Formats: sequence, C-alpha cells, structure tokens
Amino acid sequence: MTEMLSVRQLNKIYGGKVPSRALTDINLSIGDGEFVGIMGPSGSGKTTLLNLVAAIDAPTTGEVLINGKNPHKLKKSELARFRRRELGFVFQDFNLLNTLTVEENIVLPLTLEGERVRTMEEKVTEIAKKLGIESILKKRTYEISGGQAQRTAIARAMIHSPKFLFADEPTGNLDSKSAKDVMEILTAINRSERTAMMLVTHDAVAASYCHRVIFIKDGQLFNEIHCGDSRQAFFQKIIDVLSLLGGNAHDLSTIRV
Amino acid sequence: MTFRQFAFNNVLRNKRTYAAYFLSSAFSVMVFFVYAIFAFHPDIAGGKFNPNIATGLHFAEGLIYVFSFFFVLYSMSAFLKTRKKEFGLMVMLGMTNTQLRLMVFLENVLIGFGATISGIGLGLILAKVMLLSAENLLDLEETLPFYLPGKALALTFAAFLVLFVVISMFTVVILRGHKLIDLIKGSAMPKKEPKSSLLLSIFSALLLGAGYAIALSVKGTMVVVAMIPVTMMVIVGTYFLFTQLSVYAINKSRNKRSFFWRKTNMLFLSDLAYRMKDNARTFFMVSILSTVAFAAIGSLVGFKTMSTNLLLKENLFALEYTSYSGPDAQAKRDVETIQNALQADNFDYRMLQSVMIEQKADNSDKSIFIVKASEFNEIAAAAGEQPVQLKDGESMLIYYMNELMGKNATNAYPVSLAGNGIELKPVGSQSSHAYPMYTDYYVVADELYGKLAQADMKTRAFYLFDVPNLKATKNVGKTLDEKFAKGDNRFMSVAYNLSIMNQAYGVVFFIGLFIGAVFFVASGSFLYFRLYADMPDDKRKFSAITKLGLTDRELSGILTKQLLILFFVPIAVAFVHGAVALTSMQNMFGYSLMKTSLTVLGTFVLIQLIYFLSIRVRYIKQVRA
Ligand SMILES: Nc1ncnc2c1ncn2[C@@H]1O[C@H](COP(=O)(O)OP(=O)(O)OP(=O)(O)O)[C@@H](O)[C@H]1O
Ligand SMILES: [Mg+2]
Repeated sequence: MTEMLSVRQLNKIYGGKVPSRALTDINLSIGDGEFVGIMGPSGSGKTTLLNLVAAIDAPTTGEVLINGKNPHKLKKSELARFRRRELGFVFQDFNLLNTLTVEENIVLPLTLEGERVRTMEEKVTEIAKKLGIESILKKRTYEISGGQAQRTAIARAMIHSPKFLFADEPTGNLDSKSAKDVMEILTAINRSERTAMMLVTHDAVAASYCHRVIFIKDGQLFNEIHCGDSRQAFFQKIIDVLSLLGGNAHDLSTIRV
Repeated sequence: MTFRQFAFNNVLRNKRTYAAYFLSSAFSVMVFFVYAIFAFHPDIAGGKFNPNIATGLHFAEGLIYVFSFFFVLYSMSAFLKTRKKEFGLMVMLGMTNTQLRLMVFLENVLIGFGATISGIGLGLILAKVMLLSAENLLDLEETLPFYLPGKALALTFAAFLVLFVVISMFTVVILRGHKLIDLIKGSAMPKKEPKSSLLLSIFSALLLGAGYAIALSVKGTMVVVAMIPVTMMVIVGTYFLFTQLSVYAINKSRNKRSFFWRKTNMLFLSDLAYRMKDNARTFFMVSILSTVAFAAIGSLVGFKTMSTNLLLKENLFALEYTSYSGPDAQAKRDVETIQNALQADNFDYRMLQSVMIEQKADNSDKSIFIVKASEFNEIAAAAGEQPVQLKDGESMLIYYMNELMGKNATNAYPVSLAGNGIELKPVGSQSSHAYPMYTDYYVVADELYGKLAQADMKTRAFYLFDVPNLKATKNVGKTLDEKFAKGDNRFMSVAYNLSIMNQAYGVVFFIGLFIGAVFFVASGSFLYFRLYADMPDDKRKFSAITKLGLTDRELSGILTKQLLILFFVPIAVAFVHGAVALTSMQNMFGYSLMKTSLTVLGTFVLIQLIYFLSIRVRYIKQVRA
C-alpha cells in the first residue's frame, strides 16, 4: 500500500488576541485506497486538521504531503487547480449552489477545468446512476431532500475521480436512514475507485464504515483503532474509546447498526 | 442596560451595515441640496438667464426628490433585510414587537437626521468646488458666484425631514408584515427562479425595433409628429427588455451546454439572471433617464455649436454699427466713440462704411434697399466674399441665407422704384453676409447709384470695424454695448455676443451634465446596495467554491463580468437610445450633432467607469475576505 497522505509534526496555533493551540505534533499517514475516520470531542481540532490537510488553512509548523506533493508549497492558482483535479470535498451543510440545478452543481468542477461537454454528460450520467439521483438531475437544490442534497454533493466531489476525498461531518445533517445511505455510497466508491478518504465525524455508526479510526483529544492524537472482520465489533470498540474520551456521551444512547 | 443604551450600542456594533445606509441617505441629501443651490441661485432666479431655465430646474428638482425618496426607501429596505435575522433573534429572546418597531423607528429617524445634516455640509463643499471648476472649465466667470443658500438650505432640510419621517413610518409597516419564522430564516430562503415570458420578450424586441426604424426613417417636421409614439414604444420596449428579454436570453443560454457549461460561464450567468431580474426596474429607470439626459445635452451642445458657428459665419466684422437715420451727427459721434475705444486699447483696426438708400417700390409699400458697388466690393473683399462686377446701369440682387433655412437660393427679380420710375433689372443674385442685413437688397453700379441718390432720401449708414484679433474685442464690445444699448441705432460686438451665448449655454450645459452624473452615480449606488445586501450569500457561495478549487483570477473574473454588466447595461442601452434620438433630431435640423454628443456620452461613460473601478476593487476584496 503506497502512502497517499503523510503528515509530519503538524502544529497549528490560531493567532488573535489570545493565541490558542489547536493541534500539537500530529503525525499520521493514510495509504492508497484507505478510508480513515477522525473522531474526537467538540473543539478537539478535527476540523482544523482537515483544513490543514486539505490546504484550506496553513499550518504553523509541520509538513503535509498528498501523493508526494506539499499543497502548502503550491502557488494559489496551482493549489486551486490541484484541488479541483486531485481532491474532492463533502461538507456538512452540502454547500450546493441554489442558482444551479442538481446536474449543473455536479459538473461545476469539470466546467472550471474546461472539460468537453460530451465527456461531462457521460460522467454525470454515470455517477448519477451510481448514487441513484438520475431522477432529480433537472431539479433545483431547494426542491430536493437533505439526503439527496448530500448525494449530489458527493457526486460533485467524485465526478473528476479525485485521488483523495475529504468529508467533514457529511452525515451531521441527515437522519439515520439517509446517513446510512451516504456511508454505504462512500464505502462503495472507496472500494470501486480505490479513492483514499478522510472522514471527520461525531457519529460512531458512520465511523464504523471506515477501515481505521483516529481519535484526537485536545489537539493531540489520542488513539487509533482498526476495523477487524466484524463491523459490529468495530462499532463497539469505537464506542468504548469514545466513552474513554468523554464528552460524547449522547452518541452512546442510540445504537443502530 | 436601558433600552435606549441597547439601541445605541446596537448601532455602534453594526457600524458597517449602518454606514452603508447612512452614506446613501447622506448622498441623496447632498445631491438634492447641491441641485437646490443652483435652482435657487439669485442669478438664475433673478432673470439674468431665460426664465425657462429656472422653471426647468425646479421641475428637475422635483424629479430628484422623487428619485431620492425611492433611493432612500430602497436603501432602508436593503438595510432591514440584512438585519432580519438579528430582529428574529431579538424577538425570540423576548423583545416585544412594539419595542422592536420603536427601536427601528428611532434608528431611522436618527440616521435620517444625521444624514440630512452631513449631506448639507458635504453639499456646501461640493457646490463650492463645482462652481469653482465651472468657472474655469466652462468660461462662466462671475456668472454663478457662490452665495449663502438660505432658501436651498431651508427647502432641503424641510424636504428631507419629511422624507425620513415618512420612511421611518414605512419601516414599521415593513416589519409588521413579517412572521417570526421569516425573520429568523432571514435572507437564507432561496429566491424563486427568475421567470420570463417568450411573448413579452418578442413584444419587447418588436417595439424597440419598430421604434428605432421609425425614428431613423422619418425626415423633417415628421420627426416631431413621430416623437411621442416612438418614445412610448421605446419606453415600453425598454421596460420589457430588462424584465423579460434579458432574463429570457440568459435562461435560454442555459440549454446551450457548449456555452453554459464552459469554464466560469455557469457561475457567472446563473447569478446574472437573478441580478437582472432584481435590478430590472432600476435599470429601466436609469436607462430612460440617461437617454433623456443624453439627448437633451447632446442637442443642447449641438445647438450651441450651431449658433456659435452661425454667429461667426454671419458676422464677419468684430464691431458693427448701423445708423437707421443715415450718416447723421449722432452716428458720427458714436463712431468716434467706437474709434476712441479701439484706439485706447491699441487695437489694429480698419473701418469700412457704406450708405444704403431705402426707397419704396413702385406698386407696393415694400422697402427696397440699394448700395453702391464700390462700397459693397470693398466690404465684401474685407469679409473675404466675392465682389460683384457690374457695368453701368446694371444691378445685382443680394439675399440672406443661413444653414438652418435650407439651401434654396433666391432668384433675381426685377423691381421698379417709386418716384423716379427707374426699374432695377438685376443681372443675377448672390448671397452675402458682408452687411448686417437680413433681407434682400440691391447692389448697383456707381453710376446708377449716382442717379438714384438724392439729398433728402431715407438712408442707413453702416460702419463696420474689421479687427484681425476678433476674439480680443470682448471687453471693448461689452463697454460699447452698454453705452449704446439705449440708443435707436444698432450696435453689435461679435465677441461680446459670443460670450453671452456661451455663458447661457454653459449654465444649462453644466446643470444638465450635473443631473446626468447624479443619475449615474445614484444608479451605481443602487446597485452597490443590492450587491451589499447579497454579499453574505456571495461570500458563503464563493468560499465553498474556492474549497472545490477556484483560482483568485477566476473569482475576480466572474465578479468583474457581473459588475461590468450591471454597471454598463443601462448606460449601453441609453447610449443606443440616445444615438437613435440624436440621429433623428439631426434629420430634423439637418445639422450634425454626432461629434458633440459623443463627447457627452464619453464623459458619462468615464464617470461610470471610475465609479465601477472603485466599487469593483472593494467588492472583490470583501467577497474574498
Ligand atoms: N479560526 C479560528 N480562530 C481561532 N481559534 C479557532 C479557529 N477555529 C478553531 N479554533 C479553535 O481551535 C480548536 C479546534 O477547533 P476545531 O474547529 O478544529 O474543532 P472540532 O474538533 O472540529 O470541533 P467540532 O466537533 O465542534 O466541530 C477549538 O478550541 C477552537 O476554538
Ligand atoms: Mg468541526
């Protein structure tokens, strides 16, 4: 398994009146085709880590390599191109553009690249079929449900077959049924395309779909567990670590696999 | 914390939102006030100029007031819209509706009062600057001196006090209509898709096309007849152009994927449809008003050029003195005065004179005017005109013609004179501006003139002063003009008349330019408001797209294109309308207005360009932040 992402000695201190340390000496690596979950209590630095890795924000010290390249060393316009060619993003609040139709939202990254219309059409049809959203392609974003919106966002993140997919609480706004659908789709894509994925989540069920879950506490790596043969057992292990971490008790109350 | 402290702190914390509303209100006040300073200017009101100018100015002032009202009303609702969510939270946290309304009402009254005061202050400074620059640029020395504008001040203060109180009452009405849920959702609710009708779009294209075709094809006096229907057609057509046709075209382009799915077009056009629909009424108003301003200023400048040219072409001598009682003692005295004045100022001049006989025709009461060939030829030569070649007994008909009257020459016609029974049979006719005469007259051979002239005949004496440096005689001309104004005889100084004309046109021109500029800046501010109100949406949207991978260049490219369209669509439409209107007027006058109107249009475009550039930089910076 080749290394897809490698993070060395990453530190982040937010400036401002009172500088606050968000991440301390983070080291981790994610392999090709690996699906990794990031969990931790609120304020532990998950989003910060994701932002640094995806080069949305700059680290204070440390190094990030994606596929051997350091995105923070790229020029701004190169970085933008790097993102739309090699990275995919799924956000908690979908971030779809409501002036566009579902289909137009999906092809947006390709239009910016100047892709041919024929190619774009083929790709949309293909990915829409995979995600089961063919029937809503012509609809506007405010005419579709939350689950459909998140599937649209996944389609948009995946249409250019990125090497790496980042997702920040993609199931946070969904009910358990839609959340399950979304996770199954991500798993399927991960299997078929061998896309590396990094998923930030509070949801133990969602995390149980990953190959590996990394826990953060107070900006530092706390623990790391691997999925064995049984997802049910993996889920139980996640719950155990979470209760050790504390602060996420509410997630224990509903056990649904 | 008392309620009043709370309201006060609220203003301080939301500085930026309030600043926009405050500045636009102050801007309206300033424009109105500066305009009032001109309209109530003692020199204009005092009848130094055509009284129609003052009436026109007051009428335009009314228009500006109406415009201000909508402008402030719009700014206010944009202001409230950005704060809806805040209001929702306050109500949810237990503020009563009455308290909320009272707070908003008080805020508005306060902002209005502050804006009135600062608008007047800024207006005073601006008026001073404008009058100074007008003096220098438009040769308006001393015509419009600065004065203490008591009336303008009172009017502005009263008018805007009323305006802000009425608008503050509107806020209460606006807020009453909203339910809590709407307030909380605020502007997050998706806007409806902009709709347009094919039928109305076609209707718009037809109206505009037909209007233009008629305007460009009619000639002469028919222009006046066609004016009203064509104007109506174009106004209605323009309205649907913005509300229907433009949106229809953008929506149609959606279906053309090879275009819509190309690069940033999708991001750029999908927003544009909304923005066009949102701003359609503003665009409509601005383009119609600017067309009027263009056409008015264009034709005014045209008229000015035309009358200046005419004056210079017809009056070839710097000073002209005509005595209607022949070369009598009075005439001699006056001519001496003129000569002394010219000598005192060291002018290099040459005086030409001629005595013209005035006699009745044989069979009618018509006066026949006759001059001597030698005198005529000398004057014609000095004026650079063709002399006449006459043998004994011959005569030539001289007629007056100017470009406005058309190009028809007058054919020679014979006339027999009363008394002596002599018949003049002119050998030909020619036009001339050598003498300040606007009716036909005859040049006769010296020998024949000798026969006609008798001691007690009615005559006119012409004294023409040829000064090489014509333009420099303005002051001499002015002094002499004032001296001879009461006399029976005619005195005219070209340079002085030219300067009077320039001043009158200059004032009207200046005011017209000012109004035009105000409309543009106002429309720009309108747009800026809309943009400002939509800014949070834009910011959220672009930050998401940036994460997906949008370069800074692409982002500023999209925003620049959108702003360009918003800023220049109304001006482009006005440009086309104005060009058609001026071409049509040109057909009526038979005089080219193109060059001058292009200058005017260019000025407007320049003003708008500067405004656009300054807004663009700020807007892009704020969206990126
Ligand atoms: N822009 C910022 N400026 C200053 N401090 C910040 C900023 N963003 C985050 N922080 C701080 O950094 C720490 C980590 O925040 P982060 O958003 O990464 O947490 P998180 O793990 O994603 O939490 P949650 O689960 O609630 O989303 C927090 O203490 C937060 O207050
Ligand atoms: Mg987070």
